[in-house]
Formats: sequence, structure tokens, C-alpha cells
Amino acid sequence: MAATIDHDAELAKAGAGVEGKWGAFLYFCRRYPLGAAGGVISLLFVLAAIFADVIAPHDPLATNAAASLSAPDQSFVMGADMMGRDVYSRIIHGARISLAVGIGSTLLGGLLGVIIGLMSGYLLGWFDLVMQRIIDIMQALPLLVMALVMAASLGPSLENTIIAISIPLIPQVARVIRSNTLSLREMPFVEAAQALGMSEFRIAIRHILPNTMAPFIVLATAQLSSAILTEASLSFLGLGIPEPHPSWGRMLSESAAEYVRTAPWLVIFPGIAISLAVFGTNLLGDAIRDLLDPRQRN
Amino acid sequence: MIRKFSICAASAVLFAVSLGAGAALAQKSGGTLKVYHRGTPPSGSIHEEATNSTLSPYMPIFNNLVMYDQSKPTNSLDTIVPDLATKWTWNEDKSKLTFNLNTGVKWHDGKPFTAKDVVCTWDMLQGKRKAKFRKNPRKSWYKNLDKVTADSDTQVTFHLKRSQPAFIALLASGYSPVYPCHVSPRKMRTNPIGTGPFKFVQLKQNEFVKFEKNENYWKEGLPYLDAIEWTIIKSRSTRVLAFIAGRFDMTFNVDVTIPLLKDVKEQAPNAVCELRATNVSTNLIVNQDKPPFNDPDIRRAMVMSIDRDAFIKILGHGQTIKSGALLPPPNGVWGMEPEFLKTVAGYNPDVNANREKARAIMKSKGYDENNRLKVKVATRNIAIYRDPAVILIDHLKSIYVDAELETVETSNWHAKVARKDYSVGLNLTGIGVDDPDAMFYENYACGSQRNYTGYCNADLEKLFEKQSMMEDVEARKKVVWEIDKKLQEDAARPIIFNNKAATCWHPHVKNFTTMTNSVYNGWRLEEVWLDK
Amino acid sequence: MTSYLVRRFFLMLLTLIGMSIVIFLLLRLMPGNIADIMFDSAGFVDPAEKAALEKELGLDLPIPVQYWEWISALVVGDLGFSYVSEMPAIDELAPRIPITVKLALMALGFSVLFGLPLGVISAVRQDTMLDYVLRVISLSGLSLPSFWLALLILMAFVTYLGEIPIYTDPPDNLWDELLLYTIPAAAVGFRTSAIIMRLTRSSMLEVLRQDYIRTARSKGATDNSVNYYHALKNAVLPVTTIIGFEAAFLIGGLIITETVFNIPGVAHFLVEAILMRDYPIVQNLVMFIAVVVVLINFIVDLLYAVLDPRIKYAD
Repeated sequence: MAATIDHDAELAKAGAGVEGKWGAFLYFCRRYPLGAAGGVISLLFVLAAIFADVIAPHDPLATNAAASLSAPDQSFVMGADMMGRDVYSRIIHGARISLAVGIGSTLLGGLLGVIIGLMSGYLLGWFDLVMQRIIDIMQALPLLVMALVMAASLGPSLENTIIAISIPLIPQVARVIRSNTLSLREMPFVEAAQALGMSEFRIAIRHILPNTMAPFIVLATAQLSSAILTEASLSFLGLGIPEPHPSWGRMLSESAAEYVRTAPWLVIFPGIAISLAVFGTNLLGDAIRDLLDPRQRN
Repeated sequence: MIRKFSICAASAVLFAVSLGAGAALAQKSGGTLKVYHRGTPPSGSIHEEATNSTLSPYMPIFNNLVMYDQSKPTNSLDTIVPDLATKWTWNEDKSKLTFNLNTGVKWHDGKPFTAKDVVCTWDMLQGKRKAKFRKNPRKSWYKNLDKVTADSDTQVTFHLKRSQPAFIALLASGYSPVYPCHVSPRKMRTNPIGTGPFKFVQLKQNEFVKFEKNENYWKEGLPYLDAIEWTIIKSRSTRVLAFIAGRFDMTFNVDVTIPLLKDVKEQAPNAVCELRATNVSTNLIVNQDKPPFNDPDIRRAMVMSIDRDAFIKILGHGQTIKSGALLPPPNGVWGMEPEFLKTVAGYNPDVNANREKARAIMKSKGYDENNRLKVKVATRNIAIYRDPAVILIDHLKSIYVDAELETVETSNWHAKVARKDYSVGLNLTGIGVDDPDAMFYENYACGSQRNYTGYCNADLEKLFEKQSMMEDVEARKKVVWEIDKKLQEDAARPIIFNNKAATCWHPHVKNFTTMTNSVYNGWRLEEVWLDK
Repeated sequence: MTSYLVRRFFLMLLTLIGMSIVIFLLLRLMPGNIADIMFDSAGFVDPAEKAALEKELGLDLPIPVQYWEWISALVVGDLGFSYVSEMPAIDELAPRIPITVKLALMALGFSVLFGLPLGVISAVRQDTMLDYVLRVISLSGLSLPSFWLALLILMAFVTYLGEIPIYTDPPDNLWDELLLYTIPAAAVGFRTSAIIMRLTRSSMLEVLRQDYIRTARSKGATDNSVNYYHALKNAVLPVTTIIGFEAAFLIGGLIITETVFNIPGVAHFLVEAILMRDYPIVQNLVMFIAVVVVLINFIVDLLYAVLDPRIKYAD
């Protein structure tokens, strides 16, 4: 590290002189190689989820007595499970479920969190006071414990799993958005809008909301991976998405664990799928945070 | 050390004498039998439970009046031996059964055992006492029991309403221990007292349940073991790995599934594993009150779409058993044999022909490729229930039925079934005693609690009674087969297959016999010893 | 400061009361009650017997009455009886808590031991190969599902060592016990160490950019002394916070780890109790966890004040 400060280098680092969308993209890749790798991985999973019907060679639900527990070969590239279902096809279709849970719960939790945070920070008063207490309560339990209790109360289904995972996300989003809103409402442009007689609601939506988007995106990408992992954990504990849906966590749960040695492909491939998807979103999330959150920028 | 040796020698001599010239090995006393358990037993009271989780560990606390010979694999009326009773006699028409009891038997708390305890036990089972069981799952076994009387301190008589020669089979089951009069049902659940070879020490949820030798056991020289420890491990893969790694002497009762068995044999080649029929059937329950299943034709079409061989190949690696309600020979005694079984609708091995017929039925009811029937298949959210349900759904596709799986959290399953809140359910039925009386009265008789679908057929009811009163095995079998066939064709509770699973132990565990037609009768463990 | 403490205390109390209502209602929302579950092992549900059992357990009372009975007993330290074992709930919970606490402390120790130094190295060697490798490793710590990792560990142990690192018998002494927990603690600590490493790295980087570091450098301080002394001293503050939070949140990871390694701690017990609808266990245990989390948050706040004199607690 140099003792003096190289202004040109710092400027280049910060992305000065980058032009056009393509240039911005190339700059992102150069500046955040790990982030770009994460982007590619995430993109692959999104594509797999969208085109699952085309890509998957087999029906993910079709059982086949002849193929029970068959090892990876030409027709079953990742082997087959006990019921003769193709593991590869199930993983491809599983991407849909994981993404649905990840994006669904992040959006749901995020949306509620943004609304609560925005209203709390902008309205203050008794609403804020009550909301802060509710958020305190929600944060008094670890995420998985909360999700576990929620999942057990709601019963196992895709929708309920999304709800169960989204609820513990609400307070985190609400906290960040609230503190952001608090500082924004003192900003000159908000005061100007007030002076112009804009309604409270419009100010909140038009001026404050867009400015809270950066921290929200940072938080949301971090939540995405945690939601995917939580779903896997819930399914592993038997409280997540029920059979025959090809959820990755469910694929790894008790019945697969029984074959951990006789048919290791049942445990290895879904595990890799989860890890890779979470890894990808984490890498991407890191890069996005660096990009959007100037305080964290290296 | 010397004392231990002398006890050991003494018991060895004693046993050699008792066994006569046939004894091959001298039994060694001592040691702790370590067994893994699949989950915390729901309670310690055998009479209140219908699960191996309670029965297997707690059976050694108790004695029955009579029991199945613990060294013979196939239970039948011929293998019943004395336990607390020294002998038994029937009256002429087999409606009164009298037991003479052992003297000098004491409960674990030191109180003497008398005929009154026997009366109390069956009075409780019939709901005649003030103290009540919380649950009484085998009430239907004693439908034909009028009363039990103590003729003296050492003699009791069971008075039946009508002749029932196989009644004694019910009393020989591990599910029929004698309870003490002086201990409350609550205490029996948490801290049970018996007369048996082992005493209850402690249960710790999710951790262990421990038993120690009853030093004052009334059968002299028994038991050989000093203690039995059951360690609770919920994950099947983990506990089987632990057995392979030598942490345990023995697996839980029939806990090793067929695919796992292969693994155990490869990794622990010395382990003794016995793959046995469990007399637990995987079956369908169809709600006959819910359209369209109130139509017997639709039920029949559904039964005919099932490819039993595919189930057996996938779930049992070809080793589970095609059967009706009762388990066929060589494993069981009463089941329909293969040639007869083929004549039952849906059991014809030509699946395509069956399905062709089933499709014709469905078409006649207005269903076809474009107008498919949508149903939900409900089942418990555990693999042995869920896996067959997934295959069933696949098979139903062949007869224009689109089924969706509804997994019910395991704790709600029976409540849901009791509410009849399902159209098609996939269920497992285990039977305590391989006897038609137990099977029919428990699962198919009008009004029985465990007759989930509420199937009730007056003609069959008469046949149930007819076979129950018959003494000749072959003649009774004919009636039993006729009943079983009718039950399958009516889709009362269509059987998909009968399960098999293994119990494994390391070779130093001696004198343990697994039974081929019930998993509930062979866990007294008083003669098991460790050759370490 | 005092009035701040008093206010914080009342807020804590309010949070806990709210939590008790939430958990109480959630449990009653769950499909299926204890009576159904207890009948499950008998293979049927008899309506009359079920009603009798519900009466015995007080489940037939109105919900507010049930809540009041629970809370008024809890306040005087009476946790009631476990529905499943019919034993006092306190006897079921008390022996299990130390096990989980030991495991959590070991996991935490493990994660600080690895996370902190690696985070510093990664920051100091920012954008070098070493930094990338460490970041990828830490990210993978956040990405591997802990039950999968645990399963692979078990599989490897049995295949290559013929031994299985799970809990089957209570250990004889503390040393054996710690040994027994090493692998599970490492498995769960991997994730926390990744979090700590990432946080240490980013707060180190932030501090390194601050003016006083530049000043120190321009005054001729060597790179190393600047990095390790000045920077670490200041970076430790946010790290302390996260360690505090993680200590409480470790219990989430422990649920899985205790399940896979069959450790009879309180986290594993919670899952079982939820599945069995053992209300007295779940309610009291969740409240206990909430108390721990809230207290740790409180302590972390106080620590913050001690470590960073710039923060003042005014009203």
C-alpha cells in the first residue's frame, strides 16, 4: 500500500470515465470479478427455472420401478432416487421452487418491511411506537426458530413456506428503511416538497421511497440467499415444502439421508445445487452492496 | 470378580440343567444390552399404546398370562407357552378359559401378585374400573369377553359370550401384559411397575430409556443381562451408521429397511440381520361417504389400477409380500395363497389388462382423457407413508385420475382420519397377533375404532363370527380366505403389499429370535445374553 | 444513563410480554393439538376419550384463561408439566440448557478464533489472491446448508475412520464432553466464523481509509503497526456487536446441528416439542430464548457504550 494517495487510481476504481451500458457492465465485471461470477451462476439458475420444462429430460414426478436408485448414467445423468425419479430433472425443477421461495419470501417480507419502515419513519408518533414494539417482538427470536414456529402453525405447503420465511425478514427491512427515512425526511428536497404543499402520502411515495431503494436492494440480495437456505433447513426438518414437489431441501431430507452411502448421488447433487445457488446470490449480493452502498465501498 | 464369576457359573449350570442335554452353549450372565431407539416412546404403558416405540422397550418389564414361545419364529396357537399362568383349561364349548397362576410372584415394588391383578387388568381394558386408561386401543379384541373372575388367589377364569377357541392367542401377545391393581394408570405411563425380568429405571425424552435387571425375578436364573439401554436417535441414517460403527449391540425392532440392509451387510459383514415380514400392511383407505368414492365401481377401478409388483419392486426391492389383509405362508398362517390370490380382482399380474378394465369402468362413469377425475391422496408426512403415496399417484394417472399428494403432519394423521376429512388416504396397518379374530374385529368389524373407513357389511359380520367359533385350522382358513377376498374386492381397505424389514445385531448377542408374523410379541429378552 | 437503563428495561419487559402472547397464540393456531397427537400412538382417536384428556390438560378452557394460567404460573417459576412425559417441564429443560450453552460457546470461540484473524488478513491484503481465496471460503461458509455439511462429515467419519462422532452416551467428564462437541461446534461455527470474518474485513477496510490512519502513516508509522494496532482497535467495535447477535442467533444453527449429531440439547428438544405440540415445553422454552436474545442485545448495547466513548445515552 502506498503512503501517498493516487488520485487517478482512486477515480478509476470508483468508475470514473465509464460510458454506456456495455461499458458499465464491463466495468462491473472488471471491478467485481467475484460479483460477475455470482451473476453468471444466478443467471444459470434463473434460466433453469424458467426453461425447466424444456431442459429437464424427464418428468420430475414420474416414478419408474426399473430405475429405482440407479447410479448416474447416460439416461439419468445425476442418477435416480428410490422411486426412479430423475435427480437431474428434479434439481432443474427444484430451481423453480427455490427461486419461488427465495424471491417470493424476499418480496413479501421486503414489501411489508418497506411499508412498515416507511410509515414508521415518516409518520412517527404512536404508529412508530407500536410498530417498533412489534418489530422488537419479532426480533426476539432467531430466524430459524421463528420460521419453525410459523411453518408448524401454518402447515406444510409452498405458499405457507413462503409466508413462514418472509415474516422473520420483515423487521430487518423495516429497521433499515425506517432509519433511512428518518434521515431523509430532514433533507432539503423533502422540506421543499412540504413547502410546496405536496400531500404526505405523495412525498413518501415520490421522494422518500425511491431514495430508500438502494439499502433495500442491498438487504434483499442478502435475504435471498438466506431464504433459500431457510427453506432447505425447514424441509430437512420436515416442516417445509411437501412431496412430491422437487424442493432441494426436501430432496436432501430423511429419506435421501437413508441412502447416503448406497446412493450418494441423492445427497451430493441437491446439496451442490443449494450451495451453488446460495453461493452465487451471495457473491452477487456482495458486489451489489459494494456498488450501491458507498460506505461499504472498498 | 470372583463373585461375578460364581454367579455366572451358577447360572450357567442352572441353565444347562434346565435345558437338559440339548444345550449347546453355556449362557453368560451380565453386561448391558445397548439398543438404539427410533424416537421417544409415547409412554410406558403398553395397554395404552399401539406402537413398537413403547412395546419393544417395555415388554421386558411385564409378564403375560401366557406368551408366544420366544424362541420360535412363527407364532401360532401351537407355540403358546405358560408365563404367569402355569397351565390353562377350556370348558367343553370353549367359552370359559381358566388359568392357574404361579405363586410367589412379586411386583417390582415388592407387593405380591395375585389373581386380583389379572381381573383388574381386564376390567380396565373393558372400561369397568373407576381408574381409566387415557387410551384403550385394543378394546375391540375383547368384544366377546363377558367378564374375568378370580376363583381364588391363584386361579382366574375368562368368561366369553360365545365360543372363541383363538381367544388365548390375544392373551399371548406382547400387547397383553398383566398390570398391577395398586398402581395408577398415570404411574404406569411414567414409571411402570411389572413382574417381569427387568425394571424400569429412567426415561429421558430424545435421549434414552433404561432398564435394569430384576434381581428377584421369579423365573430362577433369569434374566442374563444386567441392564438394557435404549438410546434414542431420530435420524434413521445416523442411527444405522452408529450401529455399523459398533456403538450398539442391536438395532431397533425391524428398523433396517431393505435398501439400508444392503449397506449394513457391506459395512458390518459380521452383523446378523434377519429380514422378516412385519405383518404391517401398506393399504388404501377410501372414504366411502365422499363422491365419487361412494360408487363401488369407482373404488374398484381404482384398486385395479394399482400395479402391486411395481410397488414391491421399488419399495421392497422385490422382497415385500403380495397379500390380502392376512399374511400368507410361509411367513404367516392365515393369508390367501398365491393361486387363490390371483382370482381376486386387481391381483391378476397382467396389469395392462386390469387397467384396461378399469379404464372401461371410468369411461362408463363419464371420465376420460379430457375429463379427468381430480382427487387428493392424503398421507402422513413420513417416508414409509409418503413414498408409496407418490407411486400410487403415478399409477392413478393410467385411469384418468389426477391425484395430488396431501401430506399431513404426522401428529394430525389419525385425527384427520377420524374426522373422515379425506377422500383417499394411504395408511399402514400393523397387527399384534397373527390371528383372523384380531385382524377382522380390530380393522373391519362394524363400529370398531380402528375401522377407519367405517366399512360395515352385515353378511361379513356373520362370517367373522363363524370363523371365530371354528376350531379346525384348515376349515377356518377357507372361511377366512373368502372373507379376505370379499374385503379386497369391496375396497374396504385395499392392501397394496405387506412389509418386510430387518432387525440386526452383532454376533455377540445370543438367544434372540425375530418373529415372522408379528413384530409385537418377541421382546421379553429374558433369555438373551451377551457373549463378550 | 440510569434513566436510559430504566427505559430500556421497560421496553424489554414489553417485548417479552408481546412475545408471550404471540407464541401462545401461534401454538393454538397450529393444526392438531396434543390430544390428537397422544392418540396417534394408539392408532385412533376416540372422541369421548379425547374430550376427557383435553379436560385433564385444561385445553377446554377459554384461550385467555389458559394464557393467564400459564403466565401467572410462569411468573412464580412454575413451568407446568410436559404433556409428553408428564414430568415437570423444568426437569426436562434445565438439564438440556447447559449442553446447548456449551456447544454454542465452543462454536462461538471457534468462529472468533478463525473469523477475526482471517478477516484482518483479508483486509490488509485487500484485492490480492489471498483476499479472494479467503473471501470465497468465507462465502462458502455462508452457502453450505449446515445439515448437508454435517451429513457429509458423518459419512466421511464412518467410511474412513469407522467411527461416528455423534452423542449416544452421556460423557464421563468435561474433557470427553468438549471432545464430543468439537466436530458439531466446528460444523456450526463455520458459518458464524464466515460472518465474523466478513465483518472484520469490511470494518477494517473502513477504518483503514479514515484520516487518522493516513495521518499515522504520514507520520512514518510502519504498515504493520498501523494495520494491526490502530485499525484493529477501532474495527473491534462493530465486530463485538455481531458476536453478540450471533451468540443469540446461533441457536438457529444449533437446531440443525443438534438434530444431525443427536446431541440432547435444548435446540433439538425445541423441534421435537413443536412436532409433539408439547405446549408447556415450547412456550417456556421460546420465552427463555427470547429472554436470552433480548438480554444479549441489551448487554451488547452497554458494551458499545463502554467501548466507544463517543456514544452517550441521553434521553
